[in-house]
Amino acid sequence: MTPFAEIIQYIISGVTSGSIYAMVGVCWSIIFLVTGIMNFTTGEFVMLGGMLTWVFLGAGIGLAPAVILAIAATVAIGIIVERLALRPVRYPSEMTNMVITIAAASIIKGIILITCGSETRVIQALIPVKQISILGAIITTQTILVIGVLAVMAIGLSLFFNRTLFGKALRATAINPKGASLVGIRINILIVFCFGLAGGLGAIAGIVIAPITFTGYNIGLMTGMKGLVAAIVGGWNMTGTVLAGLGLGLIEGLFGGFISPGWKDAIALLVMILFLIYRTISFSDGVNKV
Amino acid sequence: MNTSKVPLHNSKHHNIGLGRNSSLLDVDRVSKRFGGIQALNDVTFSIEQGSIISMIGPNGAGKSTFINVVTGIYAPDIGQVCFQGQDITRLPAHAIAYLGIGRTFQLEELFPSLTVLENAMVGCHTRSRCGMFSSGLRLPSAKTEEQRIREEAMENLTMIGLEHKASDSISSLPLGERKLVGIARALGIQPKFLMLDEPAGGLAAHEIEKLVKVIDILVNKGLTLFIVEHNMPFVMSVSQRVIVLDGGQKIVEGTPHEVKANERVIKAYLGEEV
Amino acid sequence: MKASNKFQVYIPWMILVAIVIFLPVIISSSYMISIMAFVALYGVLAIGMGILMGQAGLFSLVQPTWFGFGAYIAGILAARGLVPPGIGIIVSAVFVALIAYIIGAPILRLRGLYLACATFGILIIAQISFVQLGELTGGHSGLLGIPPLTIGGFVFKSDLHYYFLSWALCICCLMFCSNVINSRVGRAIRASHDSETASSSLGVNIPKYRLQIFILTSVMASLAGSVFCFYLRFAAPSIFGFHLLVELMLMAVIGGVGNVWGPLLGSFIITWLQEILRAYLGHFFPVMTGEVTAVFFGVFIILVLIYMPRGLVGWVEQIFRLGRRIYEHIKSSVAQ
Repeated sequence: MTPFAEIIQYIISGVTSGSIYAMVGVCWSIIFLVTGIMNFTTGEFVMLGGMLTWVFLGAGIGLAPAVILAIAATVAIGIIVERLALRPVRYPSEMTNMVITIAAASIIKGIILITCGSETRVIQALIPVKQISILGAIITTQTILVIGVLAVMAIGLSLFFNRTLFGKALRATAINPKGASLVGIRINILIVFCFGLAGGLGAIAGIVIAPITFTGYNIGLMTGMKGLVAAIVGGWNMTGTVLAGLGLGLIEGLFGGFISPGWKDAIALLVMILFLIYRTISFSDGVNKV
Repeated sequence: MNTSKVPLHNSKHHNIGLGRNSSLLDVDRVSKRFGGIQALNDVTFSIEQGSIISMIGPNGAGKSTFINVVTGIYAPDIGQVCFQGQDITRLPAHAIAYLGIGRTFQLEELFPSLTVLENAMVGCHTRSRCGMFSSGLRLPSAKTEEQRIREEAMENLTMIGLEHKASDSISSLPLGERKLVGIARALGIQPKFLMLDEPAGGLAAHEIEKLVKVIDILVNKGLTLFIVEHNMPFVMSVSQRVIVLDGGQKIVEGTPHEVKANERVIKAYLGEEV
Repeated sequence: MKASNKFQVYIPWMILVAIVIFLPVIISSSYMISIMAFVALYGVLAIGMGILMGQAGLFSLVQPTWFGFGAYIAGILAARGLVPPGIGIIVSAVFVALIAYIIGAPILRLRGLYLACATFGILIIAQISFVQLGELTGGHSGLLGIPPLTIGGFVFKSDLHYYFLSWALCICCLMFCSNVINSRVGRAIRASHDSETASSSLGVNIPKYRLQIFILTSVMASLAGSVFCFYLRFAAPSIFGFHLLVELMLMAVIGGVGNVWGPLLGSFIITWLQEILRAYLGHFFPVMTGEVTAVFFGVFIILVLIYMPRGLVGWVEQIFRLGRRIYEHIKSSVAQ
């Protein structure tokens, strides 16, 4: 492959994984904006999408029903995490919520490990595979599907948040929970909805990427973290997160391709740390010298 | 209700602003904006050593912001603050404490994980030096210093009359006592200048009496006081001069009587239709 | 009155030292002795975690990394015969302190959850480094060829030796930390957790003290890591990652972070629980007991946070306070 084609190939794979990071980042944002909780089970939602689809396929169900069931199950699990693990805490603090979601992530991971074993699993392609050649590099229909799903998700969510009453209620709650409840918005229901939505979207991300990168009980951690990086760097809003996710995927793809695949995962985290440090420096404008 | 027997503004310090050399605190054209809100706008005045100044104004006038700017929690966008001739405008809050400016808070801001005595001991932080190593190894120097701080803190608590509650938790104290603990704590830095943010807010009559007694004691010790308050009788009875803030701007400055009769002040509090 | 009060303060310490010294007399199983050694080492980590999260209010998730540095640096230096093992322990502690200082200064300005994210990032990056720098560290399969610890001619080789060494380290750390918490710096840091504004207005230079506590806990973790690697004669990247972090959080939470002793109690409970679970689960899931215990621990953490948020020590304190109130009540009604 010519060097130019290599670059294109890395870009393609970068955009593909970047789309996943963007989707996962959106899952983090939805919950964080509305509830202020950093939900560390987000990565596990992605894992569940792929793994549960594999489980249902193995039980003999067709592809489409398996996918739907997997998404539904993950939505349910997201709601369970909120209801059973987070809601009962009497005096929730940031630290408590973080520790609980980390614990819940461990539980989900462990249960999948027990029931499905530790090997990586493959699920078949979701749409008929065709390879298209672009500028000397190869892009598969599967990859196009991933990017397409991201686009649909981004547009759909933005319509939802801006045009529908429910979406606006969510945004209101994100800005001012007390005020929202005072005007009659049932916050508890909205929170449940957010967790379910994040679960569903995460599962979708996990399902579309599984045919490309395989799936296994432990993919949740890194994928989740990279989605978090996208959300943080993107400033938690939708456009920012999507752009940050794609950008992150690109940087990762090029770095992994040309410099070192082993260190690839570290790039995302390094970006996040440097961004956070940069933010503290640029925020010291005298508002709070403490 | 003037509950103190001796009007506190009878002292000989009746003039503010005799120039930079004799004043303790110089505030020069201080302005501070938060997003769309101009919290402080071109505020200028000076405070002389040994005086008792009150700042009043409607809610949201910028009084607490002013205290935050002087004590280093915020840096002003424009303007300068000088303490004893030294420019402290950009100094961080903890450095300003070392210079001798203390403050209390409208919402007390006590430390609930510490006992009353420990709260007062944190106040004495600037009066001690032992660091992590000497404390961790319990060196003799650390032990002596700890004992000394404990005694100083107890003295401060005794002055406000709460030494018997030294080992109690903060949450067990009523509001009036919590405010006094806040004062005792601020006294730990042995301040030359003490800023009290609404010390009488929410207090019952007997608690205000106690507060006035404590302020008496502080005045007699030669402390310069700056009190932000809403409680008019309290302000009138303890202050020598009053500064009125409205919408971030200083609108009037004068003796309590002058200010009380001033039309602009009345308008500011009651609105235009008076 | 003062003299007897002073004496009372030392009682818990004397009890602890007595237990540590006499335990090997009662228990002859060297398996149990070795578990107790791990209780001490993990205890050091958990105490550090407790201080950071409970007293200082810092969500620092990076303890396992310092543990790992302590293990790898001392291990590598000793395996290659570059320095005597004892010196290796000191070198790794100094190195870790330096790194903590460099990283801490910018990072500790981050608020709450963002600090957690950043320190978590460091944890993962470090783990990746342990794997990638295979030349030095032996990569996935781990560092081998570590000689036993020798200090001044005395060779530490039995479980009992490491048991005493680990507990000596643990008790020293516990004492140092307890002293710091009850001193000027400790009060300043606890105060800054309650109210940053108020404590700075009293002269507390918050970033300075946060950095000091951060470095202190990092050095503690490094020392524990060095002892750990000389004991096991082994170090591997998988040890110093997410799983250990979850365990440490559980230890801190179950023991209670309001107090330096709580996490040590937590270490005792969790380390033994893990062994018991491993023995039991070994029957059902022979291959993956590590991850499976994670499920139990996950459930455990959640239950503790919901029903016993101040941990066991906090719960015991509550009971004591309740008991004392009942006692006073009875006393005053009898006096009437």
